Amino acid sequence: MPNSKWSLAFRLTAWYTLASLLLILAATGTLYWALVTNLERDSILFLADKVNVVTALLQERPNDWDGLKEEIELESAARRYDQFYIRLNDESGRTLLETPRMGDILPSESFDGFANRDGRITAKDGVVYEATEVGAAVGRTNHQFRKIQIAVSLAKQRQVLASYRQWLWAILSASFILCPVVGYQIARRGIRPVQYVAEAAKRIGSSTLSERIQSDGYPIELEDLARTFNAMLDRLEESFERLTRFSGDLAHELRTPVNNIRGELEVALAQSRSAEEYREVLGSNLEEVVRLSELIGSLLFLARTENPGTYIKRELVDVGELMATIRDYYEGLAEQARVTLAIDARTGLKVTLDRSLMQRAIGNLVSNALAHTPSSGRIDLIAKESDGNLEVCVKDNGCGIPAESIPRLFDRFYRVDQARSQQGGGFGLGLSIVKGIMTLHGGTVEVVSDLGRGTCVTLRISHKTA
Amino acid sequence: MKILVVEDETKTAGFLKKGLREAGFVVDVASNGEEAIHLARELSFDLMVLDVMIPKVSGWEVLETLRREGIQTPILLLTAKDALADKVKGFEMGADDYLVKPFAFSELLARIRSLLKRSPIRHEEVLRVADLEIDLARHRATRAGQRVDLTAKEFVLLALLARRAGEVLSRTMIAEAVWDMNFDSDTNVVDVNVRRLRGKVDDPFPRKLIKTVRGVGYVLNAE
Repeated sequence: MPNSKWSLAFRLTAWYTLASLLLILAATGTLYWALVTNLERDSILFLADKVNVVTALLQERPNDWDGLKEEIELESAARRYDQFYIRLNDESGRTLLETPRMGDILPSESFDGFANRDGRITAKDGVVYEATEVGAAVGRTNHQFRKIQIAVSLAKQRQVLASYRQWLWAILSASFILCPVVGYQIARRGIRPVQYVAEAAKRIGSSTLSERIQSDGYPIELEDLARTFNAMLDRLEESFERLTRFSGDLAHELRTPVNNIRGELEVALAQSRSAEEYREVLGSNLEEVVRLSELIGSLLFLARTENPGTYIKRELVDVGELMATIRDYYEGLAEQARVTLAIDARTGLKVTLDRSLMQRAIGNLVSNALAHTPSSGRIDLIAKESDGNLEVCVKDNGCGIPAESIPRLFDRFYRVDQARSQQGGGFGLGLSIVKGIMTLHGGTVEVVSDLGRGTCVTLRISHKTA
Repeated sequence: MKILVVEDETKTAGFLKKGLREAGFVVDVASNGEEAIHLARELSFDLMVLDVMIPKVSGWEVLETLRREGIQTPILLLTAKDALADKVKGFEMGADDYLVKPFAFSELLARIRSLLKRSPIRHEEVLRVADLEIDLARHRATRAGQRVDLTAKEFVLLALLARRAGEVLSRTMIAEAVWDMNFDSDTNVVDVNVRRLRGKVDDPFPRKLIKTVRGVGYVLNAE
């Protein structure tokens, strides 16, 4: 569609012009038509009126010759405007009375064929007349008849119409020029706010993402657009910030192990050492590299959970058994920390889910709970069904999480306790992974925490989708 | 036992060759797909370690070509891509196993051995390592004639180490084999359990059998 490339202003102008011209054309046309009809009716009524007067005279006062004469010869001759001619013939067609000069302009014969009907005659002087011929009785006896021939000049009418037409053409030509000009101005004014929005949007780049479009002072529709635009910018800015923070955090996480490896190797190679010393350096480096591999593995895993097309292997899993496996695994650690690890799950509670992913999610939660629960504390693994959902809670009575940290818990590399990270703890990816696994299952994760009293993390999977 | 390593990255090829040689294999290296197909046609190998991302002819094409030509050498795929679709595709095309980079060399070795059915896994009823004796049928372990009292999981862990005595087992492999935990997180749980096992099996005796291989895992041997 080539016209989709035309500017908005051009299109608006074109439509406006077309619409205005059509309207003006229709209005002037209608007015002209009304005028023509009115004028025609006026002449016909004028003729009928005159005929009535003469007929009445003939009927009421058949012998008042002077009255008739005055009516026919004098009055009509005196008219300069709406000039009309009238003639009275007897039955044989002999002229009894007529307006002076009528014989020259409109002889009797020119009325042939106009008996009892209206019509137009072009007279010998070139003027068009509205004319008719009507029969009338003399007196009340119906013995004698007269023929009344009457014609009214249309010259004046034609003049009026011609001047009216001139005006119409003038108006139409003016509109033809003015409509596009005015239309363009209106369109320009109308879309100016759009240009402002566009200019504001143009100014916003990755470095000025905090700028917003002024949303008031615009027409309602554009205010809406500006607001929508700003909401999009909010989301963009947030993801941008997350991304920036993520890259920064990632670089930081990578820096420590890489720095260790580099430094240890450089120092080791600076002078010759015993095999034992080399082995020590290599072992230490291997530990760092393993940590890096784990980091890469976790990041790849997270990237995969973000891909909605990721395949997960769903199978019918006994949730109680799954929890027992996890407890077995962590029991040694729990015993060492003197923390009780208890399971509360109905036997035979079976749900379709990806066993190893769920194991990983719950395992991560237990691992977090163990790290934050002091000795003689307690961790409960609770599984229950409610409203067709599977709910898995990992509940501890440990140190809890400050309320302001809760919204950021699922951010990658976020750690509530920044100091802990220095002691070779996790990377702060555990809960991001839990959330990713829940997303893959179409489920949710919720954290409720009471500072100093404990934390409860609930995983929810819909039974139907699970 | 002859292994063909197909890997274009020089350092990777280097450590694979060295490591596998030291584990007792004869190793040839091909640095691209064409060479790999050529070598596989000319010589007979017991196993191929095939990187998917190699120049000229991709690993997938190598796999496809060899299987089409009826060469049934077991193939272990190496890839940097951790996508399940790749894994499924690999198996569908006739690969025998799959390992994602970065991987632990010990794990690669374990998988190669298991593919070659040359794993040093022992199937005896009673396993003996030095003065440690493990009776699998009776679920009893003794050291120097004295009964060692173990929990069920500790026994499984000790039996695993003993069956694969001399082989370094990574924490991930141990977690998977003993607790059925198939993800690599929180491997310090394995450390805690090994420490407890040592407390019972090694601590009372002067000769230590369970050894830590730094950065790799644990090994049980008499050396």
